[in-house]
Amino acid sequence: MAERPDLTVDLGRGLRLRSPVMAASGTFGYGFDAPQVDRAALGAIVSKGTTLRPREGNAPVRIAETPSGMLNAIGLQNPGVEHVAHVYAPEWMTWDLPVIVNVAGDSVEEYVAVARRLDGVAGIAGLELNISCPNVQRGLQFGVDPRLAAEVTHAVRVTTQLPLVVKLTPNVTDIVAVARAVEDAGADAVSAINTYAGMAIDVQRRRPVLSRGSGGLSGPAIKPLALHAVWQLAAQVRIPVIGIGGIMTPGDALEFLLAGAAAVQLGTVNYVRPQAAREVHDGIAGYLREHGLTDLRALPIRSVSVLTHA
Amino acid sequence: MSVALEQGLKSPSPSGGGQGGGPVVVERSVPMTGAVELVVYHPPSAAALDPGQFFQVAVSAPHSVLRRPYSAAWSDAASGRIGFIFNVVGAGSAWLSVRHEGHELDLLGPLGRGFDLEGERPVICVAGGLGVAVFPGVVKALLARGRKVTVLQGARTAAQLLPAARFAGAEVKTATDDGRQGHHGSVVDLLASLPPPLRGRVGEGGVDVVACGPTPMLKALIDTARRREIPLSDIQMALETPMGCGIGTCLGCAAPRAGGGYLLTCQDGPCLRADRIDWDRMTDAFHG
Repeated sequence: MAERPDLTVDLGRGLRLRSPVMAASGTFGYGFDAPQVDRAALGAIVSKGTTLRPREGNAPVRIAETPSGMLNAIGLQNPGVEHVAHVYAPEWMTWDLPVIVNVAGDSVEEYVAVARRLDGVAGIAGLELNISCPNVQRGLQFGVDPRLAAEVTHAVRVTTQLPLVVKLTPNVTDIVAVARAVEDAGADAVSAINTYAGMAIDVQRRRPVLSRGSGGLSGPAIKPLALHAVWQLAAQVRIPVIGIGGIMTPGDALEFLLAGAAAVQLGTVNYVRPQAAREVHDGIAGYLREHGLTDLRALPIRSVSVLTHA
Repeated sequence: MSVALEQGLKSPSPSGGGQGGGPVVVERSVPMTGAVELVVYHPPSAAALDPGQFFQVAVSAPHSVLRRPYSAAWSDAASGRIGFIFNVVGAGSAWLSVRHEGHELDLLGPLGRGFDLEGERPVICVAGGLGVAVFPGVVKALLARGRKVTVLQGARTAAQLLPAARFAGAEVKTATDDGRQGHHGSVVDLLASLPPPLRGRVGEGGVDVVACGPTPMLKALIDTARRREIPLSDIQMALETPMGCGIGTCLGCAAPRAGGGYLLTCQDGPCLRADRIDWDRMTDAFHG
């Protein structure tokens, strides 16, 4: 048994991570905050969703806690791609940690324009295509229709040499159909899932808690749902699946890796426990050692047919 | 599942919580009706705290996920202690309210920006409801700088006022909704009723105002200040908004910025000057 198990992950197109633990988009800003986080435990950071022009975001109230989870409707507040390419990327270039830029937009043209601006920019390790934001006017449009998902994926694919991850929404009837469409359109990996559409109502005031009405639900409340999505996807697409959804502990992360995820992203837990990345990383390493496994590729459960559980 | 795999739920905090040297509750009391005061021993935090800063407190209430932001009421570097005064508004504060001597807490902080307490002019502290919780430390720090301090404290009833003894060295005036103690009405009305120079008119030497309370109270204060030509830049306030992370990453604690866009309560505040807020866009939905 190896004393130090191999925790590296290959997400394709040269994007190799030293750790399967990533920071999910929107929960780590652009990597400049959260000094308490032990970056050595992270395989990559995924940036806040970035659009062509700066966006102010939604009016407050933007967040609300719900049982075992939280709702957010931030509305893609971000400084715009020019700032990211011009100011942030040169900083990232000096880091010993890949930064993947989450790309959002209202149209195919906007996604392409953002991708084009970031292509070839030193300090950017890859793109995560956000076709699944529930909190802006047309954010979900591309994620719920396999044809549109493929169209935007293809358009970005031919625009950039960067590794391309497509982040899927769970707010669909058939997430596998969308995943297959973006796989065929040239995605190097998929990440699943983004938040579930949800809401909370203030009974005394008789109005939604969030100013936008609804928002995206994250946290432990969605973990079993996310795990099921990843389980389905891992069996039915060939490209790597990055598991996301309510991971709080090493055990949670291992469930996703056993379900077939190549890597995981930590989201809501980053708000609560800055040391979570380190704990999850070390917990996975310890599990591999305990079970006599040398690397992550030994983890996925492949003997069970997903179809009987779908 | 093994204990090791669930360790993430129990291990110590970045501020040093947990075994040996972490924040621990050393006193619990009821300073006024409806509120609890916890005294926490943690010398590094007590030494680092600026009045008005807050901590993100981990709570283990059933089904809760997020930390809760609590402004420190006071700190004392010499004894290594920090005080928190709060009321029970939900599951998280209910859990925190029954922590007793010996309980360890998981604190992240101190976070955000405290008040700017430098200067020589007299200071009026305007406290509405539980907003008073931030003032014991503020008043102490102001007095230590040799400043003249007047505390105006408003509450629904006399029993919900923090005792004036907590502001030793300052002049204390009170207002109650039921009129049984002090001014009958709101604390902002009390401010407006004061004779000069406490009104802080331009040209009378002026005063600095430091305020904390529910958003409707802060909006009333702004209206009064505008009528009486108190520059909004002379008013500092501690904002309260819903908060997710407390460290600037979730962007959940937005407050409308004067001139457009949003400030983050956790990074730009919670203490900031009133002229930085767009009061026309300021919602009071935070206190539902």
